[in-house]
Amino acid sequence: MLHVKIIDVSKEKIDLVKAQKFIASSKCGASIYFVGTVRDQNDNKKVTGITYDSHDALVIKSFEEIYKETETKFKFNNIAVFIEHIKGYAALGDTSIIIAVACKHRTQAYDLSRFIIEEIKKRTPIWKKEHYENKDSEWLKGNPIKSG
Amino acid sequence: MKIKLELYGASREFSEKNYLEFSLKEKSSINDLRNEILSFIDKNFKGNNNFKKLVESSKFCSEQNNIVADSYKITKDQKIGIIPPIGGG
Repeated sequence: MLHVKIIDVSKEKIDLVKAQKFIASSKCGASIYFVGTVRDQNDNKKVTGITYDSHDALVIKSFEEIYKETETKFKFNNIAVFIEHIKGYAALGDTSIIIAVACKHRTQAYDLSRFIIEEIKKRTPIWKKEHYENKDSEWLKGNPIKSG
Repeated sequence: MKIKLELYGASREFSEKNYLEFSLKEKSSINDLRNEILSFIDKNFKGNNNFKKLVESSKFCSEQNNIVADSYKITKDQKIGIIPPIGGG
């Protein structure tokens, strides 16, 4: 069971309660919530916020592909996966991504959650522009996208 | 052919709009488009080296939302997305 969405923060909020409701199941004994937030420092620069940019269609496609790969890689039954990522401006401490997973056992939930975030980092077309205390801003360099 | 190049991430610095437009010869490839963008950088940003490196390290996305190879032939007017190195999450 999968839910994926890009949240445009100028229109709506990313919400952990929604994730909790989606993955709730009596078939699952373990849930993991990964929540990415904006931190105050990067490369010795004081960060005040991040603007996230997204190729929405490719992002959704990559989330779905990653989920499909978990089915063949892990072969877990009765899992629930909720992935939402924001686009737009996020201030310090704001949530940028929620990955919520529910599985039968805890080891499965840890494995699944870790796999999903690592794959998102490699192949999901989302970009960050950091804003600094001195009013400068900069797009982070990132890594060339890994397709497929 | 007219190509509307949709800009993402750092490539948004190339224009105040969300896109750039290029005219390409029939059956041009992604590599030809990349060269056109590099010429655009030369002309409009005095060959800005960071911008050129960005273009060289970017992938491209077809209108069907597939990442396409440099040899991919563009056969009609369409939108192509430039996909600079990524860093979300």
